[in-house]
Amino acid sequence: MIRRTVTGIRGRYLKRGRQLLTLVVLMAASLMGQAVADTDSENAEYWLDRLGPALNMTSYRGVFVYARGDQVSSMQIAHRYQDGVVEERLVPQDGASGEIVRKGMRVVCVLPDHGRIQLDQVIPSGPFAEAFSSQFMPVSRWYQPQLAGDDRIAGYDVVKLALKAKDDLRYSHQLWLEKSTGLLVKSHVRSSDGEVLEHFQFTSLEITDSLSDSEFVIRTKGEEVARNLSPEQTASPAPRMDGWTLEWQPDGFIPAAAPRSGKGRAVAFSDGLAAFSVFVEPARKIAMPTGASRIGATTVYMKQLDIDGAGFFVTVVGEIPPTTARKVAESVRVDDTLAFGAIGQ
Amino acid sequence: MDDRLKETLSAMMDDEADELSVRRLLSHARQDEVRAQWQRWQQVRDLMHQGNLSDDRVDVSAGVREALDGGAPPLSGPVARHQVGAERKWHWPAVAMVTLALAVGFGAGAGWESADSSDSMANAGITAEQSEGRNAGTVVEPMQEVALQGLDEEQWEHVSRYLLEHAQHNSVGAGRGSVGYARLVSASGSGY
Repeated sequence: MIRRTVTGIRGRYLKRGRQLLTLVVLMAASLMGQAVADTDSENAEYWLDRLGPALNMTSYRGVFVYARGDQVSSMQIAHRYQDGVVEERLVPQDGASGEIVRKGMRVVCVLPDHGRIQLDQVIPSGPFAEAFSSQFMPVSRWYQPQLAGDDRIAGYDVVKLALKAKDDLRYSHQLWLEKSTGLLVKSHVRSSDGEVLEHFQFTSLEITDSLSDSEFVIRTKGEEVARNLSPEQTASPAPRMDGWTLEWQPDGFIPAAAPRSGKGRAVAFSDGLAAFSVFVEPARKIAMPTGASRIGATTVYMKQLDIDGAGFFVTVVGEIPPTTARKVAESVRVDDTLAFGAIGQ
Repeated sequence: MDDRLKETLSAMMDDEADELSVRRLLSHARQDEVRAQWQRWQQVRDLMHQGNLSDDRVDVSAGVREALDGGAPPLSGPVARHQVGAERKWHWPAVAMVTLALAVGFGAGAGWESADSSDSMANAGITAEQSEGRNAGTVVEPMQEVALQGLDEEQWEHVSRYLLEHAQHNSVGAGRGSVGYARLVSASGSGY
């Protein structure tokens, strides 16, 4: 049956097509070693395509655990997709009580003052590009996708998807997707030696359409911080690297969001799976050390720059290896110190 | 449940809790909270070391009471449905690692995980430089390590704000949904 189809294709195509086909077959053979792996990779792409929509358009409730480095937290989640609107309620299960409720693009956080952090500094107040999810990202160009078998997570049948980084600039990922919906139920971020750096997994899960309105009501008492994430205002999706540029960025990472939350000049980059943010700020009175810190898969690389006597902090934060973060941080060039003038005071 | 009780619970997992504090924990009014916390940590431990979840409805408090009193568990309060220890093997050191991090908080988990990884990173750095076609002869400086717990208050505030902002980019921007939120709350959670 297959042979007949192949003959049919070859019959219809001209010489060039035949060469191309041979080339593709050769490449596939050399890359994966066997034809079965080839179909695997195609299937992997199929699952990868389902990942994004499934995250939003599946309705479910459950509890998940998130671990990075030595740090672990768990969260209760209810997520509903109804009439084209996403509603979500997240309740952290550890530490101080609080919750995050999202309805469409409106996010309300009730979280106590976490010691030295005020959350209202953090929630973006301005345009926020939902670019990553809607934008086409050729993930398979930077990762080798492969199906890695079936499993069961939180009572659901899942398919395991391995995305092996093709270079040292990024980490490898493993995703477990629920079979009927494509919902992400477990994920690993791994270093090149296979060490699990970040672990996300549902410990209990119920995929159901019967989620009532009452599950999306704020129940914690406390100061509410509300913000609208309004993508329609994103007139220019171009990153705002005011006064600075990156002379180098890892292949495949493209500017993705232009948050206006903090006073920092932040630009986020993503390759479709991993993301990093670059912050460039005028140095004030405090001094920051130079170097890298890791929390699981997240690297923080800090650096101080001196341009004409003016100091700047460059910080790269992302789910990327420290070597990549350092290269990014070292490629920041401040070309217009005046652009920082207004916020330097 | 306050931090001191959590610390006791953590120490219990490490088999290092003193009797007095364990008794205090067991007499805590909200036994359901204590149990829930224990089970969550237990789940995490299972996840990280076996890759799957064991029965999470085990209530160990009765068994612990029994061990403390050297006799039968009291009739009041929750009763264990399973015998502790008989069916499950506990990996104490692993649990200790997880729970210690939870009890101490964010700062403890920061920094390099091992000397090995820092070595391999330095090597990776050289490879990356060379593959970029830069001066292959250039000696790559060893990666400078910054321990987050070594930062002072102002510096930490700076870094944690960046962590949070980045997590926000992820949760909304990257379409990673709950993973992104988890990063966010993880960054703000035990923020010191």
